Amino acid sequence: MDTKWNGTNPEPGEALERFVGEEVRNAMEDVPVKRRGGKVKAWVSFLAFFLGLTMVLYSAGAIGAQIVWERDLTPRFADDWQETDNFRVEVCAALRDFLIVGAGGELDFYSADYWIENGNGITYYSYPEEVYENPYFWSWKENSATAVQEGRPQVDFGMALEDTSESNLPTATPDEPEKQEPKGPGLQYESDKNLLYFIRCKDGKIYDNCDGKVQNMEKQTLNGFNFYLTFENGKASAVKDGQPIDLYGSGFYQGGSQWFLPGYENYPATDQLDGVTVRMAVRETPSLYYAVDYSTGSRYESSSMNYLYQRVQQIHSFYCQKAAVFAAGILCLFIWFCLRKARGLADAKIASWTLHIWTEIRFVIGVFLFVFTFGSAFVGRVYYLMQDVFYEWDSGYYGNGLDIAMNLLRLFLQNIPALIVLVWFFWLLCNDHRHNPKEARRSLLRPFFRGLRARDLKRPVEKRISRQASLFALAMALVGAVCISLMINLTILSNSSLFTVLLWSIGSLSLVILILAALALSKRQLHLAKDLGRLADQVEAVRGGDLSTPLELPEDADLRQTADSLNDIQAGMKAALEEQTRSERMKVELVSNVSHDIKTPLTSILSYAELLRQEDLEPAAADYARIIDEKAHRLKGMVEDVFEISKAAADQLPVHPERLDLAKLLRQTLADLEEPIRASSLTFKTDLPADPVMIVADGKRLYRVFQNLIDNALRYALEGSRVYFTLKIDSGFAQVSVRNTSRTELPDGVDFTARFVRGDASRTDGGSGLGLSIASSFTQACGGSFRVETLADLFTAVVSFPLA
Amino acid sequence: MKECILVVDDDPEIVGAIAIALEREGYEVRRAYDGMAALDQCLDPAVKLLMIDVMMPKLDGLSALMRIRERRNLPVIVLSAKSEDSDKILGLSMGADDYVTKPYNPQELVARVRSQLRRYTLLGDEHAEARRGLLVNGRLSYDTASRILQADGDEIKLTPKEAGILDLLFRNLGRVFPAEEIYRRVWNEDAYSCENTVMVHIRRLREKIELNPKEPDYIKVVWGIGYKMERHEP
Repeated sequence: MDTKWNGTNPEPGEALERFVGEEVRNAMEDVPVKRRGGKVKAWVSFLAFFLGLTMVLYSAGAIGAQIVWERDLTPRFADDWQETDNFRVEVCAALRDFLIVGAGGELDFYSADYWIENGNGITYYSYPEEVYENPYFWSWKENSATAVQEGRPQVDFGMALEDTSESNLPTATPDEPEKQEPKGPGLQYESDKNLLYFIRCKDGKIYDNCDGKVQNMEKQTLNGFNFYLTFENGKASAVKDGQPIDLYGSGFYQGGSQWFLPGYENYPATDQLDGVTVRMAVRETPSLYYAVDYSTGSRYESSSMNYLYQRVQQIHSFYCQKAAVFAAGILCLFIWFCLRKARGLADAKIASWTLHIWTEIRFVIGVFLFVFTFGSAFVGRVYYLMQDVFYEWDSGYYGNGLDIAMNLLRLFLQNIPALIVLVWFFWLLCNDHRHNPKEARRSLLRPFFRGLRARDLKRPVEKRISRQASLFALAMALVGAVCISLMINLTILSNSSLFTVLLWSIGSLSLVILILAALALSKRQLHLAKDLGRLADQVEAVRGGDLSTPLELPEDADLRQTADSLNDIQAGMKAALEEQTRSERMKVELVSNVSHDIKTPLTSILSYAELLRQEDLEPAAADYARIIDEKAHRLKGMVEDVFEISKAAADQLPVHPERLDLAKLLRQTLADLEEPIRASSLTFKTDLPADPVMIVADGKRLYRVFQNLIDNALRYALEGSRVYFTLKIDSGFAQVSVRNTSRTELPDGVDFTARFVRGDASRTDGGSGLGLSIASSFTQACGGSFRVETLADLFTAVVSFPLA
Repeated sequence: MKECILVVDDDPEIVGAIAIALEREGYEVRRAYDGMAALDQCLDPAVKLLMIDVMMPKLDGLSALMRIRERRNLPVIVLSAKSEDSDKILGLSMGADDYVTKPYNPQELVARVRSQLRRYTLLGDEHAEARRGLLVNGRLSYDTASRILQADGDEIKLTPKEAGILDLLFRNLGRVFPAEEIYRRVWNEDAYSCENTVMVHIRRLREKIELNPKEPDYIKVVWGIGYKMERHEP
């Protein structure tokens, strides 16, 4: 299992890996089976996450919007459309109309409408979004506005719609010419076969639209009809699916969702209704009916029953559909949850794609998405909403917090796809920011800001901070100005004295606090900036080597503690440095003294050994004298080497650098050592350029370096082998290499430049073990670099110097 | 001719060894083991040369040297275990005529003693020689007209090429000559891979004129540049 790609919580190493990029990832695919599996898993996980979140967001948002939009909650979960409050309203409205006809009255849809609207509280009627945005719905609206109102309760379209009802009412009365000759419920009711009626008027007149199936109606056996309502003798009774319905309940009408029809104790049928009988039948599954009144040209489209039925069906299918999507989304999220650890790979891949998009383009896309999805609507809505809020606040009209919150919520929920797109856009942004380091991101403006910042950084830190402080103060002033103008604007907008007083008192108080805080902060910042500047200067001074003058800040300064700490560091450094220089000096002095102390007896030994050799001795004694002399000489060499190397290690080796020709120096060295070279069995193959190779170094020291290298070759190279001595120029560096084949096997993993290290650990050769060490430290003292490479028995020493 | 040499060192064995070496060469050796004793003995005009160690009890070598210089003008060879250039320069500037580091090479030491004594006792002052048209550099003097080189008053036989190189270097004391230039001017030929040739001749020249050819005082290599003859105080 590839737990490395933990998408939710990336490890530091992972970020690095990601930064290294494609090559590494490809290289990692050396383990093909595992990787391939991880990749598929990652993409499945990501897909599940993407689909799941999208579907859940979509369905939840749609349902949420529906809930917010829809104020009438009853149709939502009703199985049967006839069980809804709206059905009761429709039936009661129709009954009222029929009773008016039956009582010999005249149907005046507008007054009736008005009456029913204000008679009780159940007139609020809203539509699901789909309906609201359906052009068909609007055509229906227009029709009903210009033609006869059909007793439908008025539609509340929320805040923005005010233009439908009252203002149009007086003009739209096409029925007026027919008032003189009442013809019953009118074509509207007649044509709608979803609602069959039978009216026996007070005067015995009969209206019906049931095509003579009166008998069936009375027996309640009409085909396709399952709801029957009868009004007789001042009481109504209803039967649904053969079961009688309790219409009156307790017998008192109390509003709400009760059946609104005469016959209650507190809403009895007046004597106007004596002898009026009305029978109604409602189709189980209504359908569309259409009629045109050719005398007026008015069109009548279906009926409210059909509409209600359609709507309930619609709402049902809406919820079912959204619930299915929600369930699918949850399933997807579950899949993702099981594979959540694998998703990191996909996230990283996506981040590697999004990396190439410039920051500015991201910004533009973000703004574009916001503005063109619901941004403009949002701004307008907010404005209206505020107006409403103030208006409602002032008038004491339903200034209900929940309502305002709902309205706000609507703004967000009215455009679900846009919301989802935005969510994913932000996810992409976050993903990008999580996986890609800031430096890797691309931006057109960054160089500009970098330039600004670089210019800013050239100023001392205290200037920078005080500039920032003044910028801050400026921003505060701007905020204050905006606040004041907003307050003035709102005052003009609101007309409410209470609101104005409240707004101004809170506003000015907070403004004063804001300004005071800004002033205090700025002042403090300026002090801090000054101290910080001194601190920065002090740090710079300490870095420059000033270890004696401490920084004194006032007792109450913010940076006092820091300054004290810096002073402590300074004092500590000073002590440490003194200690170090003292110990270095002592070390060199010690070595110097020791070497002097060794040299004095060594002088005696050498002198007497020399004298001894001049004596006429027995052969064996002469041999002993020779050995003493030889070894004493070797000891002398070693003492000198040790002395020099200890000085070099303590950086006390005097060096006199000058411009010199390295090629010439090598030729001179070879010429100088010509005798021992010729005396050896080795062949020196030299490859030195004829042209001068100028470097800067101390010639004497460098001579020692190459002398030691040649000496090393003479001492340790295989007899009769070749030594390659070359000088090459490579990219601004002069490289001298001495290559030879070792006489003995070269041990592995030995640093030949370390002191007293020899290829032959038995130390029986004549060397001090310091030759390469001296060569190395002298090279470094001259400003070059020295390294030794071994490959099997091939020994290579490389000295390189930058060209001058 | 038994010239008297004062050897001062706090290590009696070293003094003994030097004494043996010098006595073999026919010198009379007086010994002292600290700076104060050296001061006392130096006042004897019989002492013709002083060989003195630097680090000694009672009075160190360089201080003793300064005091002696106030009274007497005699050749002084400083013998010291301090081998650094700065020490040598210090010693020479305090009035030493030569500076030999321990452990010394006995033959070289004897050669230096001889050289100093010859210059002191035989040659007199260099100004007279210079008036005679000689170029003088330390223990070397060179007659440009006759092309004769003398070291401590002894004429040194040189081959024509050696003489050419010496002539070039001696006439331009302190100037550095690349091997190519030496070759062109001495051999009168185009220089091509001449480093070894020039070096061979220089090495031979050194063996003839230097007291210790391995650590030459006069003909020096300037590494990476060329060769020169070092200017010495008379």
